[in-house]
Amino acid sequence: MTTSPQLRASNVTISYNGALDIVSDLDFDVPQGQITSIIGPNGCGKSTLLRAMSRLMKPRLGSVLLDGQAIHQHSTREVAKMLGMLSQQLELPEMVTVEDLVRRGRYPHRSMWQPPGHDDQVAVDRAMLLAGVTDLRSRSVDELSGGQRQRAWIAMVLAQDTPMLLLDEPTTYLDIAHSREVLELAKRLNREDEKTVVMVLHDLNDAVRYSDHIVVMKDGEIVERGGPQEIANAELIRNVFGVECDIVKDANGWFCIPRSKNASIRNTTGGESDAVASESLTVGYGRVPVLKSVSVTFPDGKLSAVVGPNACGKSTLVKTIARLLKSSEGSTSVHGRPIFEGSHRDFAQRVGLLSQGAAIPTDIRVQELVMSGRFPYQRWYRQWSNEDQGEVDKALQSTHTEEFRWRSVATLSGGQRQRAWLAMALAQQTPVLMLDEPTTFLDIGHQIELLDLVSEMNCRSGLTAVMVLHDLSLACRYADYMVAMKDGRVAAAGAPEQIVSESMVREVFGVDCSVVTDEQTGRPLILPLGTANSLQARPADDASSTGAARNGSVNRTLKEPVG
Amino acid sequence: MTASARQVELMSAPRLRVLRFGGVAFVINLRTLSLILVTFVLLVAAACLAMMLGSFRLTVGEVVGSVLGTGNGEADFVIWRLRFPRTLTVAMLGGALAMSGAIFQGAVRNPLVSPDIIGINAGATLAAVFWILTDMPQGAIPLLAFVGAMSVASLVYLLSWKGHISGGRLILIGIGINALLGAGVTFLFVRYPVQQTRSALAWTVGTANNSDWADVRLLAYSLAILIPLAVALMWSLRVMQLGDTTARSVGLPIERTRLLLIAVGSTLSAFAIAVAGPIGFVALTAPHIARMIAGPMTSGVFIFTLLVGALFLMLSDIVAQHALPVSLPVGVVTAAIGAPYFLFLLYRVNARV
Repeated sequence: MTTSPQLRASNVTISYNGALDIVSDLDFDVPQGQITSIIGPNGCGKSTLLRAMSRLMKPRLGSVLLDGQAIHQHSTREVAKMLGMLSQQLELPEMVTVEDLVRRGRYPHRSMWQPPGHDDQVAVDRAMLLAGVTDLRSRSVDELSGGQRQRAWIAMVLAQDTPMLLLDEPTTYLDIAHSREVLELAKRLNREDEKTVVMVLHDLNDAVRYSDHIVVMKDGEIVERGGPQEIANAELIRNVFGVECDIVKDANGWFCIPRSKNASIRNTTGGESDAVASESLTVGYGRVPVLKSVSVTFPDGKLSAVVGPNACGKSTLVKTIARLLKSSEGSTSVHGRPIFEGSHRDFAQRVGLLSQGAAIPTDIRVQELVMSGRFPYQRWYRQWSNEDQGEVDKALQSTHTEEFRWRSVATLSGGQRQRAWLAMALAQQTPVLMLDEPTTFLDIGHQIELLDLVSEMNCRSGLTAVMVLHDLSLACRYADYMVAMKDGRVAAAGAPEQIVSESMVREVFGVDCSVVTDEQTGRPLILPLGTANSLQARPADDASSTGAARNGSVNRTLKEPVG
Repeated sequence: MTASARQVELMSAPRLRVLRFGGVAFVINLRTLSLILVTFVLLVAAACLAMMLGSFRLTVGEVVGSVLGTGNGEADFVIWRLRFPRTLTVAMLGGALAMSGAIFQGAVRNPLVSPDIIGINAGATLAAVFWILTDMPQGAIPLLAFVGAMSVASLVYLLSWKGHISGGRLILIGIGINALLGAGVTFLFVRYPVQQTRSALAWTVGTANNSDWADVRLLAYSLAILIPLAVALMWSLRVMQLGDTTARSVGLPIERTRLLLIAVGSTLSAFAIAVAGPIGFVALTAPHIARMIAGPMTSGVFIFTLLVGALFLMLSDIVAQHALPVSLPVGVVTAAIGAPYFLFLLYRVNARV
């Protein structure tokens, strides 16, 4: 293994097409042989910085230096031998198998006429094994679930076999177990192969737990940097993310528990009857069933959450209820009426959907987007009524999107954009709203903001909301009713207090954790066990830690590849 | 219209108004409305110019007088028998092609599609060329071109159908069919003696040279039905731009709407081809120019697109007739302007990625 190259950004200012500076006059020296995490709110420029540092884009001012030389003076091939970059939102190649994809990572090491040699195959096999995609090697990439796909991309970067890894949100789309595997892998590559790792991370807990060094960015500048334990505190999180939080430090590590402004407000009404009832749903893409005879109900006037590991069928369930997918068996009714009864327009007045990763129309303005929510109440010859106007105003108001109602959707930050989409769904004025991973791309502050909004709508107008959520703790906090899914079946359903336990989390998500009750909300809190830092730093603590002792052995080793 | 309508301010927003009469209400963007008026005036001016030029020159006064029925005999003959029907035909052809392009681009959400690219023009050409070469009665050519265009449109749609229509698939299949039909036309030209192919060759480039009042009537009747239908569909197309999932979640029956859009778009271009033969690139370029000026597609912008297409073809036709000593088919001019623009578009789209 060659020694890690020196990578540094010196006074870089970056902007897209001469527009506003995303990163301004920033200095960043990558600590060699360490794991560095870059954190910050949506739109702070963290991904942009990483792109510039991996030669994917040129800074407007300043320079990125690789081994003391401007990075653009190195050829792409040279750079690719030293830096392995995992980008976000990669284009999806069609009809390419996982193994072919991973093999592409070997490109910088091969000359044009040379057939792939033994070394290449060894590196490809090892990369697939490390990323846990060996079983998927002959599957086509476009057939995979989000989490599997993400791991295939990671394998490709690993096949590149570079001394330095730059990972832009490597845990997006991954469930707890998988994201933990990826982070443990980064840790292992760092400790055993002495690779330098730079990650942009979403989750504060992960950043604190898995990195040696943290860089905090806000508005294109670095506001803080240092060791995780020294700098991560409630005040910093308030200043950077705009959210209050409690910090729990115990032998198991460091946990940030964000607080909402109105945590005490709870909807006490509703729940007498079921808003949505599905009976023995079987749904599949092609021949493989994703949902296997799922029967599930969601209470009226309550907030429900659907949780589960990647590819468990939670999005499919929500899409089926929202009438986007047809079930081959079984049926669903909303407020007693079968969903396929009535026209599309009629159904759109009963059930709304905030879909995952919705396409971004280029030049549409926020208000125009929200106005589209009124479509089911309109006709081409009756395009606008006072009621439409009232509902649009109300939706803009309650989502706090009024101030940018005339801005183009494309210019909004991730958090603002998600609020605009929510406003559209609210303008649709449906008694039932399905939300498919509404928080996926949001930072912790915006996640809380969005969930607060939904819970406020639930309290105020009795909206029945069914959300697919990624974060188990947040799901416990906000949901009155929870459905945990695994392998296309319902593993548990009920109030979070009743169903969430250490054994349930282990069974469904495959991770060990300790479940405690949050005194402030009375809801369960999930604290994952066996964090790398605490183990490394205080091996003695680990053994004596009550949490770990109570829950048996800590999941320290990387799991064998899973399908 | 505005006098009887109650004007309600939509928002503190600039330039959006709601027009209401009873149960009917339309959202009007004042900026688009003024763009429509300006383009209409320009179109009328271009039409006047087109009717003034020629071997027998006329003044503005003579043209306007003739059209309004107060002209002298000589001018009346030139205007009513020759130039007025041609000008009206050109305007309607341009409008029909532009609408067709805008509909296709919206329906498959891809800015690089148009009826000529997915083989609709080629289908009409193959049918017409075959008819001419086999010495069949000339009168049936427009009907045959229409049938050829519509069959290709249906074929492309059916081959793209896989439970739903994906834009990328439709375009690729269209391009494949276009190539196949192009090869068919070439084969016919090689197969038949040169003397026979001359008149068929003339048909492969669109022209308004032989247009008469019958053409005007045909286009006017078809547009009278298709324009309101298309404008009504724009209300749905607006929502379609948000992506299939979102469009469905707000209650748009997406595949039915897309089928309707493609049917209307194909019919519009089929009528244009039946009258004038294949005129390339108007359908592709006009919607782009319109969107660049007026923003995303709405009913208003759609009407603006129609006028932009009419103006574009009118100006191209003036150039085709009068710029060179010999008059050219207008299809040559639109291709000469449209093809470089198409390349520029491709370049820009690639550059953005």
